[in-house]
Amino acid sequence: MSEERPPDELAQLGRRLDQARSRRGEAPVAGDDNAGQQQALGIGFRIGIEFVVAIGVATALGWAIDRVLGTRPFAMIVLFFLGVAAGMLSVYRAITGRGAAVGLRPPPRDLGRDAERKD
Amino acid sequence: MALELHPLAQFKIEPLIPIHIGGLDLSYTNSALFMTIAVVLITSLLVFGTRRNALVPGRWQSIAEMSYEFVADMVETNAGHGAEPYFPFVFTLFMFVLFSNLLGLIPYSYTVTSQIIVTFALAAAVFIGVTIIGIAKHGAHFLRLFVPEGVPIILLLLLVPIELLSYFIRPFTLSIRLFANMLAGHTMLAIFGGFAASVGLLAILPVALDVAIFALEVLVAALQAYVFAILTCLYLRDALHLH
Repeated sequence: MSEERPPDELAQLGRRLDQARSRRGEAPVAGDDNAGQQQALGIGFRIGIEFVVAIGVATALGWAIDRVLGTRPFAMIVLFFLGVAAGMLSVYRAITGRGAAVGLRPPPRDLGRDAERKD
Repeated sequence: MALELHPLAQFKIEPLIPIHIGGLDLSYTNSALFMTIAVVLITSLLVFGTRRNALVPGRWQSIAEMSYEFVADMVETNAGHGAEPYFPFVFTLFMFVLFSNLLGLIPYSYTVTSQIIVTFALAAAVFIGVTIIGIAKHGAHFLRLFVPEGVPIILLLLLVPIELLSYFIRPFTLSIRLFANMLAGHTMLAIFGGFAASVGLLAILPVALDVAIFALEVLVAALQAYVFAILTCLYLRDALHLH
């Protein structure tokens, strides 16, 4: 955020507004210069945990199913791999801009005015 | 190491006003206190900030209007058309998480969002709500969400469980992400604080590091509130527009 001095007064005002916004802990509103950067940060922080949690939850679920059905360790093994697949899938969807959508379809085009750019 | 310096001691829930009704422990705890503070602060910001309704907004009115517009824009761009009725819910979520995160950064305060039960309750509310909206809007058609288009039947046997799993994992990723970020950040701050207490003059180093981590934590606090709200919007979009 500390680039060279903006040439005109308006850009400088924008920069000061941005600083004020980040001071009070709010992401700059869409349309600002660093909105893309903010977006990338948001996605980065999101997918970091997605993969791990998918595997963890799926494995725990498999363990619970095994306990109930007495099929140890098969449900846990199967669900572990399903969890890996689900985790991969959600990371892949997040970075290819399909958002968190379930289902292997292209993102809808008729949503908000710039849904594509946002996610 | 003294107990007060233990990095995890800050997350201890202590009853302030013990209330026991019929075997249930409903005590008013430090966690509940900081939730109350967050709600009171948000309410006063929005009520007093918009009381004058000046054409040229003052400082507080600007803050109130900016947060409103920020979330309104987020809902519009991410949840699509027809999501306007759910704006109050997303706004409430965003402000609550943001204020809880930021309040937790004040020394001697309590970080509500570092408790998995709090974040899980929020995430479960989102998950259940979105599922109900989807079913109410689309009925049995909602189940098509789990069936990818144009896939051979045999592959469906594999893909449908994966889709189901990635759907039901949502409340967990949503809650664990927020909770883990808060827990890790505050533990790290406390650990370096603990170093500072035990190394004498060299304390300048861990304290300097703590200052840097604190700056990072301010970013994380805002960003996690943003991520929580934006994912709520994306889940809503899924339920509203079954593509």
